[in-house]
Amino acid sequence: MTTSPADGHASSPSPAIRARDLSRRFGHRWALREVSLEVKLGETLALFGPNGAGKTTLLRVFATLLRPTLGDAEIFGHSVRRETAAIRARTGLLTATGFLYDDLTALENLRFASLMSGIRPQPAHLETSLARVGLSEAAGMRVRAFSTGMRRRLELARLLLRPLDLVLLDEPFISLDSDGVELVTRVLGKFREAGATVVLASHQHADAYKAADRIALLRNGRLEALETPAEARARLETLATSRR
Amino acid sequence: MDLAIRTWAIFWKDLLIELRTKQGLNAMVFFAALVLFLFSFAIGPDAALLRQLAGGLIWVGIAFTGTLSLGRTFQTEELAGGLQYLQLYPGEIRAIYLGKVLGNLTVLLAVEAVLFPAAGVLFQLDLWPHAPGLIGIAVLGSIGFSVIGTFYAALTVHLRARELMLPLLVFPALVPLLLAAVNATGALVLGDAMGRMAGWVRLLVAFDIIFFVVCTWIFPVVLED
Repeated sequence: MTTSPADGHASSPSPAIRARDLSRRFGHRWALREVSLEVKLGETLALFGPNGAGKTTLLRVFATLLRPTLGDAEIFGHSVRRETAAIRARTGLLTATGFLYDDLTALENLRFASLMSGIRPQPAHLETSLARVGLSEAAGMRVRAFSTGMRRRLELARLLLRPLDLVLLDEPFISLDSDGVELVTRVLGKFREAGATVVLASHQHADAYKAADRIALLRNGRLEALETPAEARARLETLATSRR
Repeated sequence: MDLAIRTWAIFWKDLLIELRTKQGLNAMVFFAALVLFLFSFAIGPDAALLRQLAGGLIWVGIAFTGTLSLGRTFQTEELAGGLQYLQLYPGEIRAIYLGKVLGNLTVLLAVEAVLFPAAGVLFQLDLWPHAPGLIGIAVLGSIGFSVIGTFYAALTVHLRARELMLPLLVFPALVPLLLAAVNATGALVLGDAMGRMAGWVRLLVAFDIIFFVVCTWIFPVVLED
């Protein structure tokens, strides 16, 4: 059975994310329109939808990078409008564009991220983070020389530097080979084992289906469906049968 | 402590990138020398007039060159994907501002280390006996310049015409600072018969303190979406 978007409202008493009538406008265009949903603690939610559906905007609002034009969202009970510092302390974001300094080495990028996160950068800890994403041998290389896949891995290593309660991933599987996809899935598994809530936006549905507990379908900034992967598959099969 | 560590991290990162690429510093030193050359050619070989105007010419050179540095303040972040992502690290956002002020100050002082001796040669001034006083004025003037300039660089970072807007906004705000720095430098180099230098130095100190407190305080608002 498909859960309607409105059903997301009254589930858990203290969800990790509670969005109410969230809207965001860029100029005259509404990127998000009255999105209401809840994500339970420890749950993995996948955001699906075509280009321009509002997936990245929703992630950026949750990450406190964008302020909603209307409505509000609470992350662990903190408003994205007013309590950004409390949210940022517990949240990590993997961006689609990346945020790495080309003229620093992989190790220096991690050292910087570590200092900025308020963690004393222990060389062993940084090297372990790089080893977990298979970048040990590239530790001393400048990021400028990295392939797109290596950059994604380094961003993942940065996420692993500190304990996170909420992990937001924008297109985590993009530009990755099969080993890379496996690595992302493994890292996601580790976050889930640690009890983190995960929200990921992806076009690569097959990989995201495997990782997700629930799927949110966005279209033209609106939340069209909020369902489990099994419900989504059943709905798609029904749709395909009716078209035949 | 958190603020100091994060400020250091920003400063260290920018310095490391600058030392590796050497894009900014080399160009700025060359530009500063060029500005002084142009002034000396424009004014001609009148040594007395050059000495009379030296304070003003030096500080106009510093202001022009410093604006190049300000324009590059957030360039590393923009190239990496956007200043906004730097805000996602937990902790005090003002560290971004303070780290950038420190970076701009360091670059400006490095340029001045070349610019003042070059001005001494071109304007036929013996600056060596006044070195301690000149260093003091240069440091005070550069602190004020970096404090105000970094603030406006953040304010204009997302504007399309930021290269144009930054000097248009920053120069009017710098008028009291430049006035004080030019007069203090002139009084030191040419002699201070009227005893006005202390007043100009006090103005520099007051400018630095007031704008440091105000800009640091309101910087988080500037970065808000």
